[in-house]
Amino acid sequence: MKTNLTLAVAVTFMLIATGCKKQPLDNLTADESRIYITDHDSTINFSSYNTFSVSDSAALIQNGKVTKELDEVDAAYIAAVKNAMQARGFVLVDKSDHPDLGITVNNIVSTSTGVISNNSYWDYYGSYWDPYYWGYPGYGYYLPYSYSVYQITEGAISIDMVDLKNAPENDKLKVVWTGLIRGSGIFDQSIAGNQVQALFDQSPYLKND
Amino acid sequence: MKLKYICTLLAGTLLTATLFAQETPLKLNINYNYSFPLSNFKKDAVENSSPRGFTGNLMYNTSSKLAVGLGIGYQDYYEKTGRQTYKYGQSQDISAVVSNSIQQIPVMARVEFTPGGGNTMVLPYVSIAAGANFVNYDQFLGQFVNHASATGFRGQAGLGVKIPFGKNSGWGADIGGTYDYAPLKKWGFKDVSSANVHGGIYFSIK
Repeated sequence: MKTNLTLAVAVTFMLIATGCKKQPLDNLTADESRIYITDHDSTINFSSYNTFSVSDSAALIQNGKVTKELDEVDAAYIAAVKNAMQARGFVLVDKSDHPDLGITVNNIVSTSTGVISNNSYWDYYGSYWDPYYWGYPGYGYYLPYSYSVYQITEGAISIDMVDLKNAPENDKLKVVWTGLIRGSGIFDQSIAGNQVQALFDQSPYLKND
Repeated sequence: MKLKYICTLLAGTLLTATLFAQETPLKLNINYNYSFPLSNFKKDAVENSSPRGFTGNLMYNTSSKLAVGLGIGYQDYYEKTGRQTYKYGQSQDISAVVSNSIQQIPVMARVEFTPGGGNTMVLPYVSIAAGANFVNYDQFLGQFVNHASATGFRGQAGLGVKIPFGKNSGWGADIGGTYDYAPLKKWGFKDVSSANVHGGIYFSIK
């Protein structure tokens, strides 16, 4: 009986121990589940740019395949980016009017067991947005910094800003700012404005005085 | 909930069985533990006290006053901070609600000294323990987790009282507190030290 008692005590202890953990994910709202990551070329003064253009559709990057799409969610995010940029003093122009900055909106979805690292995202960026789209065929994209936290295992929305003004001089399309939104419920047009604003709120340098 | 029922059932079985316990040198001690993070642990990781913990001691009485044995435990610490923007590297900013989830599992050699000894109504005791501290650390940025684990030293000093349930019954209640020193220079922490209070039962086993 004593052996059984010892066993019962040990099992009880283990069960209680493993069962008594507060689960952080159970204590998060959808809003709290989201993270906003921005990065930029800190050597750049964004006031040197005046005009911008936003892609007319979003790139859907899903399991290594890319398609362009424009549903209500994409349209909401594109509109939100335009509003945010204009609120910071930049002037929206058509792509054919040689904007200083080109902005793309990307939906990144991975349903595979692997992850999409920042490297795989940026390595193939030219295939998502052919430099020809911005009128610079033959150019390559250039990212002067790394994104070590860009490990994506589910849906994310990224917004990337490319320096078109200095592309001929640099001989490349330099990504000067990028923002990433991850978390629950981000593919919802009703919250697109707030999500984009969150990225801009933590990027006070992004302005044209 | 199912787990709670299982635990309650097993705990009930345990309690019933201990009613028949007789005084022997080998004793098992099961306690509920409430923990207060201290100093750097409180400052760097988790400010909230933790009501989710247990300890267990298997002790052998070498005399009426001295017992030696093994102590193990489990404590879960959790804290969620409001949304803040964090600098990462020179140019990266991350806005997130950060949740820290830390579990400590100490395994220590333990010595317990009961100055009064004997078979009295209340038995005050002091204890010291030293051994390993297994630490799991999950830091959530929003819903995204970074997992890490480490093993460090843990030293403990404590005091308490044991209240036997009857003369020569071999079981009783245990109430006390400990100070646990646990240096851990990882993840930006200096230590995971804590003050603890516990209450539970002890009983003799063969």
